[in-house]
Amino acid sequence: MNRSASPASLIGRVVIPLLLIALVVGPVAVVFLATVIGPWVVGVVNSNLGILRFVLAIAGVLLFSIPAAFIIIYMELKVIAYMNLRVGPNRVLPAGAAHSVVAGLKVLTKEDFTPNGADRIVFTWSPVLVFLTAVMTFMVVPFGPGLVGAPLNIGLLYLFAVGGMSVVGLLLAGWSSFNKYSLLGGLRSAAQVVSYEIPLTLSVVGLILLAGTLSIDSIGRQQAGWVWDWFVFRQPLGALIFFIAGVAEANRTPFDLTEADSEIVAGFATEYSGMRFGFLFFAEYVNVFIMSALIVTMFFGAWNAPVDVNWLLRLVGVGPLSINLDPGQLGSSLMAAAAVVPLLATLILAAPVYLLRRHRPAWQALLAGFLLLNLLVLGVIGLAAYMDWDWVAGLVWFMLKSFVFVFVFVWMRATFPRVRIDQLMGFAWKWLLPAALLNLFVTAFAIVLIKSAGIN
Amino acid sequence: MTTIPGMGLVRGMGLTLTRFFQPKATIMWPEQQADVAPKFRGRLQLLHDEYGTLKCETCFQCAQACPVECIDMGGMDTRGRFHVHWGPAETYGERRDESATRRSGRPVADPTFTRFGAIDLSAVDEILEAHDSDPRALLPMLEEIQAAYGYLPVAALKQLSRKSGAWYATVYGAATSYRHLRLEPPTLTAAAPAGEGHKAAEAGFLAALDAALIGKAGA
Repeated sequence: MNRSASPASLIGRVVIPLLLIALVVGPVAVVFLATVIGPWVVGVVNSNLGILRFVLAIAGVLLFSIPAAFIIIYMELKVIAYMNLRVGPNRVLPAGAAHSVVAGLKVLTKEDFTPNGADRIVFTWSPVLVFLTAVMTFMVVPFGPGLVGAPLNIGLLYLFAVGGMSVVGLLLAGWSSFNKYSLLGGLRSAAQVVSYEIPLTLSVVGLILLAGTLSIDSIGRQQAGWVWDWFVFRQPLGALIFFIAGVAEANRTPFDLTEADSEIVAGFATEYSGMRFGFLFFAEYVNVFIMSALIVTMFFGAWNAPVDVNWLLRLVGVGPLSINLDPGQLGSSLMAAAAVVPLLATLILAAPVYLLRRHRPAWQALLAGFLLLNLLVLGVIGLAAYMDWDWVAGLVWFMLKSFVFVFVFVWMRATFPRVRIDQLMGFAWKWLLPAALLNLFVTAFAIVLIKSAGIN
Repeated sequence: MTTIPGMGLVRGMGLTLTRFFQPKATIMWPEQQADVAPKFRGRLQLLHDEYGTLKCETCFQCAQACPVECIDMGGMDTRGRFHVHWGPAETYGERRDESATRRSGRPVADPTFTRFGAIDLSAVDEILEAHDSDPRALLPMLEEIQAAYGYLPVAALKQLSRKSGAWYATVYGAATSYRHLRLEPPTLTAAAPAGEGHKAAEAGFLAALDAALIGKAGA
């Protein structure tokens, strides 16, 4: 055996040279980062804050839309099952909570098929367009005071402009599939969405007259206070028309003719499979959330709580609550508390569990105590955040109200039969459109009357 | 109540919401199993076909499976050839033999074979003649046939279909859709029981069978 001449081991040959290199390169790199790259990055960020904010908002909205869609799909399965006296999904996680997520993974693993003769580019990109329009609408939805992707002063105009683009996506999907049923489905959905776009937009014009602004943020701000400050009480007809037209816009029952799953194949989505179909499917549920969010924003008080909390607090005799606690003042006692309090609290919370469940082992009681402590701490932190930060309270109320409307959408799907296509179109043009116009004229007349009478 | 538009929608929504909170009917099989009586055999039902005749083929499977042996049945078989009865294995083997022949496609040698519900069709032919066998006059023809026979016999409907060229489905559809047309005799007591026409032949067959059996027993 010819032994290697080098006496050094593997460590000696690899690690020590690397260490040397690191010792030389590291300080140089640190100095370089601190003097050149760091200021450059800060400068770029500073001069492009708007773009950065936009990119962050887009990323946030994209990231938000996926769990929202999953939750709504799960909610639909479960709520409709409960209304049918069934149990619904119950296999993945307790109560089948991850059912829709697993279904989404399944869609990801499926074959992504493009039929012969299909227009490949359009076929590939139309689901993206549909999904993108849905997600882009999120940009102007205010989730709370200041929690808006792009605070446009023409938010409503943007909303209807971008929302109308989804028709193009649906039409392209139907057209590029090289299938007459897909094409028919695309045309039907285009006819439906375009027809309902008009009452949808007109129903909001009355509200715009009242609010005097196109900014969604400002519309939300004007509804602060009590329940009766919400626009639904000043524009009941507008709210109703907006709701009905919104149901049709989101292609939901009883207006889900385009993809009536029990009657026709899948409308414009006939030829789609795999994740492209997933995109179309996702877009539908994102649309449901957006419609609920818009109804809440425009007619049901946006992020505002139904009660005026400050008024209530003043009634009780407490000023606006805020927690002024400086951890620095506590010094070493803070350290001691941080070490002792969790342990003590766990034991205290575990004690009743242990006493009530004697036949269980003690470690289970300890675990229960620990979990209870976590819940308690989370609750306290949540309460503090709710009290201290406007946007947390706004987000909570906004989500709560939005999901109430999502529930109503699902509830309607569990209840109503589908309408015929001629009934659908007739309803849009013969009832909703005149009603929207009536609403607009009555609102305008009332505003003029009040202004001329000098009442404010 | 019903005059308020949208009230139906509200009532429907209310119904589904009450369902939402009601206990669920699902049984979590296989973790849970329904509490089924050991001798439960599902729902028993006698079905009728579109002519109103029993779909029962007198195969006795139900009587055989009956856990408490409460089914006692007897009657003519579907083609009105044999008088059968559930009990000792008197006619059962014979019937199975005959059905095997029929399923093989060979003609069943049976002198007593006659078509179901054959009637005198001269009245139908006259009515068809009067209407020039025009299928557009389907309803008046049906009404006249009913006037002639008291009801619409299946054989008459077949004849009407064959002569006029109207699809049997059309004729049958018209006959069943109008309330005043009926496919059964107006009173059941007035009509002869099914298979009355074959009683004589059946008696002859039974006599021959008895003779053969007795002969065998005697030998």
